[in-house]
Amino acid sequence: MIELNAVTKRYGSLAAVDNVSFSVKAGEYFALLGPNGAGKTTIVKMLLDFTQPTAGSLSVNGLPSKHAASRTAVGYLAENYHIPPYLSGWQYLQRCAELLDMSRSEATDQCRRIVELIGMQGREHTKANTYSKGMIQRFGLGAALIGNPKLLILDEPTSGLDPIGIREIRQLLESLKKQGMTIFLNSHLLSEVEKICDNAAIINCGRLLVKDTISALVKDGDTLEDVFVRFVKG
Amino acid sequence: MFVMCVVFVFLIRGCYQGNYMVNGEALDAGTIVGAVSKMTFHFIAVVVMLIAALLSMRVFKRDRDEGMQSSILSKPITRRQYVVGKVLGLWVLSTFFMFILHAIIFLTVSVNLNVVMPGYLAASLLCSFNLLFVVVAVLLLSLLMPDIVAFLCVLGIGVISFVADGIFAISHSPMAQAMIQQPGSPSDWTGWRVVYYLWPKLSGTQHFASSFIGGSEGLHGFGSIYPLINILIYGLILGVLLFWRFRNEDII
Repeated sequence: MIELNAVTKRYGSLAAVDNVSFSVKAGEYFALLGPNGAGKTTIVKMLLDFTQPTAGSLSVNGLPSKHAASRTAVGYLAENYHIPPYLSGWQYLQRCAELLDMSRSEATDQCRRIVELIGMQGREHTKANTYSKGMIQRFGLGAALIGNPKLLILDEPTSGLDPIGIREIRQLLESLKKQGMTIFLNSHLLSEVEKICDNAAIINCGRLLVKDTISALVKDGDTLEDVFVRFVKG
Repeated sequence: MFVMCVVFVFLIRGCYQGNYMVNGEALDAGTIVGAVSKMTFHFIAVVVMLIAALLSMRVFKRDRDEGMQSSILSKPITRRQYVVGKVLGLWVLSTFFMFILHAIIFLTVSVNLNVVMPGYLAASLLCSFNLLFVVVAVLLLSLLMPDIVAFLCVLGIGVISFVADGIFAISHSPMAQAMIQQPGSPSDWTGWRVVYYLWPKLSGTQHFASSFIGGSEGLHGFGSIYPLINILIYGLILGVLLFWRFRNEDII
């Protein structure tokens, strides 16, 4: 589903991502972990062709990431998500559906289903400037789910959510996993990652430190946090 | 600005009904209609160019700030489609504004004075190439510099174009020609002529378009169509640069 082959991204002399290679299979729930500035978001941006790699190649859905067709059936939730303040959550979801060439009735059906799924019934018609960060994050996740994507790329999806919201999003992601969706997750919430992910990779200073299954990474008596700190601190 | 423009257009209706005297002689209706219509045509075209520049200058920044750019480009939409959508949207919208305002004048003259100016609306559509140039130029420059600077740069290009055309027209008057030919006066204008001819011909295109309005002196070969070709070539070059620049732009 996702493949990175010796990918490097340089900004001047700084290597944000340095010779990183890994792959994510279909149906996998994959977490990319690393401290701030490790290069996680840069990898996500390269997957979506938001920025181009200096060297190496990336493919999504079997196509080079620079092809727009590689983003077919891909849902993306950005870190610090924004919704234009003059739109309601419903209007925003409708616009996202229009971008996928859906008919009006199909878009309305999808939006209705997604509003239920993200638990925003009753608030979907109020303007986005009245939403909390958590509500915007939910609508962002809803927008990523439009068109029934096969791959979800989530950059800090629980950012700004309260513990109940985090739990709800986790449950939602678990239900999506059961439907066979592939999920690529960037997160700092190691406890959540430990609960729901199959595989994880840890990067630091742009370099891939380890990639393995969660069960192989977290040995008896350890937590993912212990493993993370051990790898990052060297 | 669009509202002010509409108010101006409705106020201008009164000018068609006035009696004008020049050197003690009353002007005929045809002269009044021609002069007022041309003046209004140029005014509307310039104001809509300003509106188009103002609309264009924050398009990319607003999309970035509101997260729409990443939201759109994370779908199977190419950057070229995104840029074409923005350019066409702004161009069609500003052309529509201008056409509506020109159409009000056209209808006012047709209904109130029973004078039909068939070239008026065609002239309006020709002026839309100026709007295309403005939209593409502001969008390109807004990727390279702060929005307001991009707007001011294009405004400067427009002002220079209008001033240069004015100076060029004055320099071709018999009195100016006589002064230029006097001994001791600067005779080497070649460099300035090259700059003048290569400069984006916003004013020239507008004058070429207005030649379609009745009562003008008409077209005179390549010289009169050159401003339109100049603007189209500039539009094409800037469009290519805009696509190239946006393709290499990092999406935030």
